[in-house]
Amino acid sequence: MGRLFAIEIIYRGIFQKTMAGRLSRAIVLAAHHEGKVGISFGRYGDSPERNGIPAKGFAIVATDEQTLQEGMAKYEPKEVDVTICVDDTLCKGVESWAWYGLQPVNRLLKPGGTLIVTSREGPEAIIAMAHRKDTPYQLSILKGTVSFSGLWVYKDDHTDVRILGAVAKILPELFSLKSVQRAIVDEWHDELKATSAAKAYDRTTSITVTPDQGNPEVPYKFDLPKWHEMGEGIAIPSIPAGHKMDDPKSHAEGGFQPDRNPTFLKFSTRTMRPVVNFDTCIKCTLCWLQCPDSCFDVTPEGLYDANMKACCGCGVCEAVCPVKECVTMVNETEFKGNDSQWEDWRKDKDGYKVWLEEKIKHPPERSHGFRYRGQYEEQIPEMLEIAQEK
Amino acid sequence: MATYVQIDPTQKLDPFKAVKKIPLEEYFTSGHRTCQGCESALVMKMMAKAAGPRTIVLGSTGCMYVANTTYYSTSWVLPWMHTQLGSSGSAALGASAALKVLMRKGKMKQEPINVIAFCGDGGGADMGVGAISATLTHPDYNCLILMYDNESYANTDIQLSGSTPWGANTTFSTPGKVKRIMHRRWKKNMAGMMAAGHPTCRYVATVCMSYGLAAMNSMRKALAIGGPTFIHSLDPCPKGWDYDPYISHELGELAVNTGIWPLYEVEDGVLKLTGRTQQIAAKKIQRQPVRDYLLRQGRFAHFTNDDIDYFQSKIDEMWEKWLVPGVIPFRTDVEADAPPSS
Repeated sequence: MGRLFAIEIIYRGIFQKTMAGRLSRAIVLAAHHEGKVGISFGRYGDSPERNGIPAKGFAIVATDEQTLQEGMAKYEPKEVDVTICVDDTLCKGVESWAWYGLQPVNRLLKPGGTLIVTSREGPEAIIAMAHRKDTPYQLSILKGTVSFSGLWVYKDDHTDVRILGAVAKILPELFSLKSVQRAIVDEWHDELKATSAAKAYDRTTSITVTPDQGNPEVPYKFDLPKWHEMGEGIAIPSIPAGHKMDDPKSHAEGGFQPDRNPTFLKFSTRTMRPVVNFDTCIKCTLCWLQCPDSCFDVTPEGLYDANMKACCGCGVCEAVCPVKECVTMVNETEFKGNDSQWEDWRKDKDGYKVWLEEKIKHPPERSHGFRYRGQYEEQIPEMLEIAQEK
Repeated sequence: MATYVQIDPTQKLDPFKAVKKIPLEEYFTSGHRTCQGCESALVMKMMAKAAGPRTIVLGSTGCMYVANTTYYSTSWVLPWMHTQLGSSGSAALGASAALKVLMRKGKMKQEPINVIAFCGDGGGADMGVGAISATLTHPDYNCLILMYDNESYANTDIQLSGSTPWGANTTFSTPGKVKRIMHRRWKKNMAGMMAAGHPTCRYVATVCMSYGLAAMNSMRKALAIGGPTFIHSLDPCPKGWDYDPYISHELGELAVNTGIWPLYEVEDGVLKLTGRTQQIAAKKIQRQPVRDYLLRQGRFAHFTNDDIDYFQSKIDEMWEKWLVPGVIPFRTDVEADAPPSS
């Protein structure tokens, strides 16, 4: 029996679809140069992808054909050598199309396997987000702004080749730096990309994460009826009509909170969340009306509170809000919980003000894709620069 | 309407007077797996809000079926049923007829119930156009067919549809090194076709969710007027149009302000341009250059200046050469068409 290598890529649907495809393909091509065989594929259950909803791709490589066939007999790998997470906010957990509930980002890692994360954060922040694992694993951070683009125009900022360089360092039995550089030049005909891979190779380090480190919460899950337990006609219970809201301080009732699909919380669909300044809100209704996810609860006094169980972080509320800094989108890495901002504000307005200003003052840049032609060309030099920082 | 038509009473649905008068209740709620910034999900939300609780919704296959009712879960408060891709017209007519019979036979309480069948542009403008057309010729059945148009088969990862605009990048029309423009057809004029071709249909309108209040009032009118009605909504799609979901709302406004998406309603055969479109036609505001709209979307990133100029010339034609500007593409003279070499 030969050896089987499994690598998974956890990415944001559509935003990073092209990148994930390029990564898994190049991993297999680089392994070919060392006489190994492999296959790269996207997770069927995640298709059709939606912007922002987490998805997975895999590269399965073996030292011989028979081992590969044995490895591929499973629908998808049960454990992986390397997990590549191309968006640090996914370290909070993965709630995808393919299952119900939250799965830890490190769930499939073998004992001693490596989690590669692209991030501008340090290891403390990443470890705090990721759920605890029974066995130790390695964490390797590839420094850089998370790269997002869309279906048609790819932001070619070298994130993909830098990850490939890091994989060569972490798993030298899979392929050498030389092989991955050969695959990069064959695929994309760009020597500079091969240089970027080498630089990432040189810089890649990893640290051990022990079972007592990380987020201690048990990830939530939902049990849905099996196919043989479903009712006649596959009728699904509808969502109840919603109810009034209760003020945590005065216990006055009013406003409206819709009931929501209880089996899909959007805690990990977001990469950003709106932070609302209730003191400057003019109650124009626009954030509430224009939110495609109906995430705003209407409070008894007619304010709009973005409910984190429903917000997917599109940013339309910030775009339509006529008041400066009344709704501000802030990177999801800046938050720990998912509590109601309005309740916090009601309990302690001064404290909330301090918290709000701290959050919106220096929000780290995050780009969600194409806003105008020429934008990627402007962003790439800066992203390359961050990537070269020590 | 003539007296021989056996039409049941409809709900009294007065227009919402202002955004602050819009009811707080949601009948299509959160927890669907659509994209960030999905404007079609917003159509569902506004449609359910406009129609209110006594409504049956039928949805043909598409994003708004697949993403809103994933395995044994839903975000519908209203009763909703899936119907096949091309059958929104048949489903609307059938549900309306069934309600009529059940009430006549006393098996259901006599009460006006809204029937809405929605379809995407693939299910409506391509596959379902025959059934929708047939339904619009039956004056005795109260139902609204709402087509949410994101200009591609977005659910299955963006194949081009009869609604995809000229030149756009889709899975079926990827620009190549030899040929740049792989999609050479122009968008089907669904609302114009439905209005011009169906004298029994009392109400046809175009809407865009960037103008939510107006859109909801159109829906309310379509449901209250009686008989079969049709609404066509243009929905910016962050996935297929390739843009940052943040600008969803702005792109809808741009579609209207550039004159690409004219807002109008045809009520009992009387055409009325509405909203910003009315101001554009009355020359109170100028049409914005189409370039402003095209350069914001990745699906047009391969366009050259010639392509943009050609696109602009076709929009100018809509407003300057069409006998009914923005609505019906009849002309008095034959025009030469000179697309740029691709």
